[in-house]
Amino acid sequence: MDLTAQTAVKLRERGRQLVQRWLSRRSPPSRSVTLNHRSVFILPSRAGMGFLLVIALLWLLGTNYENNLVLALTFLLAGLIAVLPVHTFANLSGLQLRLLEVPPAFAGDYAEAKIAVSGGGSRAREWIHVGWPPEEGVHLELVECDSAEVRVSLPVVRRGRVRAPRLRVESRFPLGLFRCWSWVDLDIEFLVYPRPIAAGPLPVGLAPGEGDSGERIRGGDDFAGLKPYQPGDSLRHLAWKQYAAGRDLNSKEYESRSDARLWLDWSLPVARDTETRLSVLCHWALQAERSGIAYGLRIPGATLAPSLGAEHLREVLTALADFPVHSPVSGGGHGSI
Amino acid sequence: MARSKELLPRESLLWIFAAQFVALLPHFARLPLWIVCAWAFAIYWRLEVYRGRRDLPGRLVKLLAITLAVAGLALSYRRWFALEPMVALLAVSFTLKNLELVSRRDAFLSLLLAYFVAATLFVYEQTIPYAFYGVLCALVITAALAAQSGSFSARPRRALGLSAKLLAQAAPLMLLLFIVMPRLGPLWAVPQDASGARTGVSDSMAPGDFTRLSKSDSPVLRISFDGPVPPPEQRYWRGLVYSHFDGRRWSQGFSVDPRQGAEVEWNSRQQRLPEVGPRYRYQVIQEASNAPWLFAMARPLSDTRGVGETADDRLVKKTPVHSRFAYEVRTWPRETLTDAPVLGDAERRRNLQLPATGNARTRAWAAEQRAAGLGAEEISRRLLNFYNRSFVYTLNPPALGADSVDEFLFHSQQGFCEHFAGSYVFAMRAAGVPARVVAGYQGGEWVEQEAYLLVREYDAHAWAEIWVPGRGWQRVDPTAAVSPERIRDGLQSAAEEEFMQDALLPLHRISVFNQLRLQWDMINYRWYRAVISFDSDRQQNLLRRLLGEVSLARLALFVGAAIAAGLAGALLWLWFISRRTRPPLAIRLYQKFCQRMARAGMVRRPGEAPRDFARRVREEKPQLAEVTERITRAFEKAAYCEDPAAEQQLRRLLRRPLTRYRTRKV
Repeated sequence: MDLTAQTAVKLRERGRQLVQRWLSRRSPPSRSVTLNHRSVFILPSRAGMGFLLVIALLWLLGTNYENNLVLALTFLLAGLIAVLPVHTFANLSGLQLRLLEVPPAFAGDYAEAKIAVSGGGSRAREWIHVGWPPEEGVHLELVECDSAEVRVSLPVVRRGRVRAPRLRVESRFPLGLFRCWSWVDLDIEFLVYPRPIAAGPLPVGLAPGEGDSGERIRGGDDFAGLKPYQPGDSLRHLAWKQYAAGRDLNSKEYESRSDARLWLDWSLPVARDTETRLSVLCHWALQAERSGIAYGLRIPGATLAPSLGAEHLREVLTALADFPVHSPVSGGGHGSI
Repeated sequence: MARSKELLPRESLLWIFAAQFVALLPHFARLPLWIVCAWAFAIYWRLEVYRGRRDLPGRLVKLLAITLAVAGLALSYRRWFALEPMVALLAVSFTLKNLELVSRRDAFLSLLLAYFVAATLFVYEQTIPYAFYGVLCALVITAALAAQSGSFSARPRRALGLSAKLLAQAAPLMLLLFIVMPRLGPLWAVPQDASGARTGVSDSMAPGDFTRLSKSDSPVLRISFDGPVPPPEQRYWRGLVYSHFDGRRWSQGFSVDPRQGAEVEWNSRQQRLPEVGPRYRYQVIQEASNAPWLFAMARPLSDTRGVGETADDRLVKKTPVHSRFAYEVRTWPRETLTDAPVLGDAERRRNLQLPATGNARTRAWAAEQRAAGLGAEEISRRLLNFYNRSFVYTLNPPALGADSVDEFLFHSQQGFCEHFAGSYVFAMRAAGVPARVVAGYQGGEWVEQEAYLLVREYDAHAWAEIWVPGRGWQRVDPTAAVSPERIRDGLQSAAEEEFMQDALLPLHRISVFNQLRLQWDMINYRWYRAVISFDSDRQQNLLRRLLGEVSLARLALFVGAAIAAGLAGALLWLWFISRRTRPPLAIRLYQKFCQRMARAGMVRRPGEAPRDFARRVREEKPQLAEVTERITRAFEKAAYCEDPAAEQQLRRLLRRPLTRYRTRKV
């Protein structure tokens, strides 16, 4: 039983691979794709099947009543369904899709691809649907305009570089009785940052080697650490608790947050696995950016000096996203189709 | 969000309602009023839902609506397996569907139903105006389907235009299918529309019945002849034989009506008739009468399916004529038959039947003749002479009392055909001569251009047949004895003063109108011959004319060639539209700019790069230099970096005349 189920899964997987290979031979991936007869498929939709049923019923009505006008109407509808695929195909054929931009996204969120769709002619193109099923996708019409920009979104669960599956471009023009579609590979690769996970306040002053930098400003609101007591230190800052526990007399040191520099170190987060660690680092990076604290990143294989700004944030998050996957456990999901 | 996108927009709803309205409109008169009201109310409700003033009905309300609808249908219609309840059911399902018209799927379902409702119209009506209306229905419903695709397509002109285009492209295939698709004939017995109480010759005759028929000018029969055309005095189209008289009303009597089990020979190929060849061959197209009897001259034989001959030389149809019906007839006039006719005992008794009492004076006159030992033909001649001497043929005869025959013969002496035929047969029977009343149509208007005989309702006529030993049944028309013009020229000239007196407009007196009416009837006739009565026989004929001979190979070749032509056309069109690709927008915009510059006196040389052109502009027309710079820069960005923003900028720059930039700068 288990074996047959496994075989079935394997067979399905194998079938899917075959289809994928065949598709990629027919329409190889490219950042700009023009649909043509090689890449477009067409079949009656469910409504089209209903229409065929109506034609059959009308034929029965006309034949049984020997009514030539009913038969004429039947044949008219039959003629209609014969000319429809030509129009449906023409609506999609020649359509050009060009990948404009793929902004990065966070895991667990929707990744978006910005795509330009152009008709390549003066003809109106209607009832076009672009998307990654089973996602909603985007509905568009090219009427009185040559091209349109659409943002198609896909949920991403795994961090890293995620290759998008083939994009489905579909049209049911003109009557919705035929479904004409194509699987387009626009060579879309999403850069997916780790999902931010909140894990306590920013680890200010906790990272090893932080003391090197002399830019710390003493005296402030934020607790920065303990230092041996020196005469002249404020009595209010004495660490009485630690002293009571039998340690040396220390005084608490505070510093101002505004000017602090922060090292987000690989060893800082208390986490079970790599992914959570990356997620926490991601959260901290975002928080630091928001709070205006200069931050640096130190993870195995990458070190980014503390800084601030959108560009810096992008670099940090990209480094986190590109961190090699150690464990073979992966989320799968939409990204693997 | 996924659901809200599926919700039907306003245009979709309105289109669906329009399609339903168009499909249902001709049925409104036939449907019970409550269905029409419920339908309108459902639409009102749905529109209120759209406006957000009301919710879609809950499950309980829907259940209640369905229950009420089923109960209403059960109350309105006794018979379930008939056409009318079927149409009503479709209308009700429209109504109920409107209450849950939510998704695109519901919309499709509703529109597919609309096609079906539109088609049922043709089961009732097959005239040219209704055919046009059917085309209109298809146009609107298809447009409604197209309008489901989006807001642009839902614009009335766009949707109707698209629909018309698609239907026009479908028309050739329709024609092809209409010609070659085999007509199988009914696969099973279907309920027919028996609702419309049509006028026409009925299965019984009382004084006054035919007077009523004379007031209608609607066409009944259209007869076209293959070969000789009978002279006017021979044009007696027999439909019914009345053998039973109850003192006032003549009726068919026991075992004459095929509906009561009288013997009918269906499609008898055994030739009871001589092989000398039929004297008259003709095709009759009969209007719907909701009765099974057909009309033909005496001794008819028909090969048309579902038509049979009765023992009293009539044609009947297996099922009532609910819609226009065409049949082929061959007729042998009785004179040409040579075999000695025999009258069976039962038949003799039936045709001598009289009520036990009443009309004593007529009986006495008949007994007198009988006592004188006269033959059947002599008695008939005396009676006809009697009519000829002192009777008046009129459309407005006085009312008659209980002894109607006595009163007519000896008092009023004014009557219409049924009075003459009825009294004649009564008197002959009383004199011991087997006789019967025959009802049908007499005469008809000859339409020269199309060569057919048009018989109208007012040509309805009743006459008599008597049995002459050795010669069989002989036709006697007592009306002819009084008013020969009636037989020769028709009712209009026989009773000119009284003819169509009650008509709202005496249009029949205006010759132009008569001409128009005849023209219209001719168009109708052509329509019936070409379209309505296009059956498997005519199909074979047409195919033989088109292909030379009808064989499967030739037919396949014909259809294959037609389909190949269609495919080639479609492919050509696809190739054409794919060829007609325009250059990219940026280049088109730049070309536009160059045209404007040419008008301003700066012609770009062939092959001159945009940058070189801009430099030249700076030298020769410095006032245009700045805008040229900007356009060139935007163009380069748009064309080579494929930057949509630059494209937009280019478009913006070209929106204003170039000179405007100059004046602003100066």
